[in-house]
Amino acid sequence: MQSTLSLDLHSQMSAFPTAQRTELEKRGLNIQTDIPVVDAVTITESVAVSFGDGTVRFFRPGLAYTTVEAHKGVILSMVADTGGVLTGGDDGRFLRITQDGATEEIYKFDSKWVDCVASSKNYSACSSGNSAYVWDELHSRPTRLEHPSTIGGLAFDAKGRRLAVAHYGGATIWEKHKNRWKSSRLVWNGSHNHITFSPDGKFIVTAMQENALHGWRVRDKANLAMSGYPAKIKSFDWVEGTPFLVTSGAHEAVCWPFDGKFGPMERKPVCVASNNNELVTCVTALPGDEALFAGFRDGSVLAAEVSDSNGVIPIRKATGSEITAMAVSACNTHIFIGDAKGNLLWTRLVG
Amino acid sequence: MTEEAQVPVTVLTGFLGAGKTTLLNRILTEEHGRRFAVIVNEFGEEGIDNDLVVDADEEVFEMNNGCICCTVRGDLIRILGGLMKRADQLDAIIVETTGLADPAPVAQTFFVDQDVADKTKLDAIVTVADAVHLSDQLGEHHEAEEQIAFADVVLLNKTDLVEASETNEVENRIRKINPFAKIIKTKHCSAPLNEVLGLDAFSLDRILEVEPDFLDSDHDHEHDDDVTSVSFTSETPLDLDKFQNWFGELLRTQGQDILRSKGILNFTGVDERYVFQGVHMLMDASPMGLWPEGKSRSSRVVFIGRNLENMNLLEGFESCKAH
Repeated sequence: MQSTLSLDLHSQMSAFPTAQRTELEKRGLNIQTDIPVVDAVTITESVAVSFGDGTVRFFRPGLAYTTVEAHKGVILSMVADTGGVLTGGDDGRFLRITQDGATEEIYKFDSKWVDCVASSKNYSACSSGNSAYVWDELHSRPTRLEHPSTIGGLAFDAKGRRLAVAHYGGATIWEKHKNRWKSSRLVWNGSHNHITFSPDGKFIVTAMQENALHGWRVRDKANLAMSGYPAKIKSFDWVEGTPFLVTSGAHEAVCWPFDGKFGPMERKPVCVASNNNELVTCVTALPGDEALFAGFRDGSVLAAEVSDSNGVIPIRKATGSEITAMAVSACNTHIFIGDAKGNLLWTRLVG
Repeated sequence: MTEEAQVPVTVLTGFLGAGKTTLLNRILTEEHGRRFAVIVNEFGEEGIDNDLVVDADEEVFEMNNGCICCTVRGDLIRILGGLMKRADQLDAIIVETTGLADPAPVAQTFFVDQDVADKTKLDAIVTVADAVHLSDQLGEHHEAEEQIAFADVVLLNKTDLVEASETNEVENRIRKINPFAKIIKTKHCSAPLNEVLGLDAFSLDRILEVEPDFLDSDHDHEHDDDVTSVSFTSETPLDLDKFQNWFGELLRTQGQDILRSKGILNFTGVDERYVFQGVHMLMDASPMGLWPEGKSRSSRVVFIGRNLENMNLLEGFESCKAH
């Protein structure tokens, strides 16, 4: 009896080496779903979460969460859209889902996956294979934009006019002139996946198949190489202020400055939120602040300020499963955290 | 970090018409209670009866160091990544390649992409060969040789359509290119599924069990197949530093021509067996436990590739012996 007890204690210790449950965990909603969490996005005061079983769950302050059965398989991509989300699935469907649970099929592709989605105030877009499809308004026929290879990422700029598309060998920027979409090619060898515009629209950055970011200054297509990562970059986000692009893929959250004409050219990134040499797998910014959340491979999450490389706040203890999604609700009241094994935390950020 | 079970991936190669789809449909329709995803490239050629068929475009690209030995299948990275997010875990994944595909980028994908390597494992490369046409195809298409050279299992199909003597001739030719592949003679791809799936042929400890199946050890060169194989053994222990220098340089400079390499090594001062295997210039190596007691500690290396005779392999191997 005695020995069994001590063995149990020992196994618990080794499963959670870092810490006790944090204050945020104690006061929050902790759920074990066993369904991989794919992504999470902010919809004003709520957060929408996509899962590997095709469901989307909406978390709202003070209310029970709701579940929408949307896709037949994995939800491969999701983006916030007015009052809801747009999703793409391995069932070949491109859907719009509102918070009240209404699901509308925008398009159905035969046997192909819908890999990427994007939304702006002017357009909705998705990609399947080599083609991006852009809708001026839903229900109309989409414009098909073709690319030399499979699309790895889609993003609109902040004004919602230009669409950036990542693929093998670089990226393509599309913009509508007199009712026709015109393209401009940005070239860099290798496979480009997630893509983003800087908030001022002057730079485009991609996460590559290699352990590196690549960027271009849109004005003159000057290249920015941001390399030296020990792992693939699966997540990035813009921290307001300077602004910084915060990225995963290293043992700290790596923040690249994008101020001035030159952005991060010839400059070093700021690295914060180090955690026992664990790899950062997911990052998200704290809106309105030069601060961020870093999610780690062991399931732990820390908050840190970009200007303070030492001070970190523990948000979640290790669970043994890598963080795959995080999102902060409007006014920074709540945070959602999810991992690859389907452990969820929805909790108040302010006491 | 908790260890998670890796989903085995079987790569199915073979020329158009050899019987890949027949084999696929057999795998999928037989009662086995297992859940498979199938990644196909010749979608629509013949119906494939499964609820989880993924239509892929073979997209081979170079990692940005520009080395041709580091070509990978981009579509596979994307699709395997998507499949690994499923809530219902798969028992296995089967990747069918097009008839003229080089198997190297598929195999290399499992070495190069960390997520793919963490969550899935290459189980085996299974090549379906047509007993009627293989001899002609080997002469005309280097892809046919590569598919045989990379194979862990060759399903020599349609043996009912040729004379026994012809089958033996084709079999000899396969063995000259690849003496390690298991050859299964079938009609209508009717091989037992446990000889095709779940082989774990790329795991290092399986290499210990595989004995080269040389028909003749004197390596005659009467055929003009340009893919060949050689193997060397040594009872004298090897020097670790010398071997690393020689082998590293060899893969770096000749990796393009060395399709596959495998070996078990006995180093002086090292109690454990050291096992390695490579695909072109990518390599996986690890100590694999103590040598079995009462058995001789001999090193054995094997190469399958082109222009092997010009690489001074024997001299290189001999020079690694510890004195």
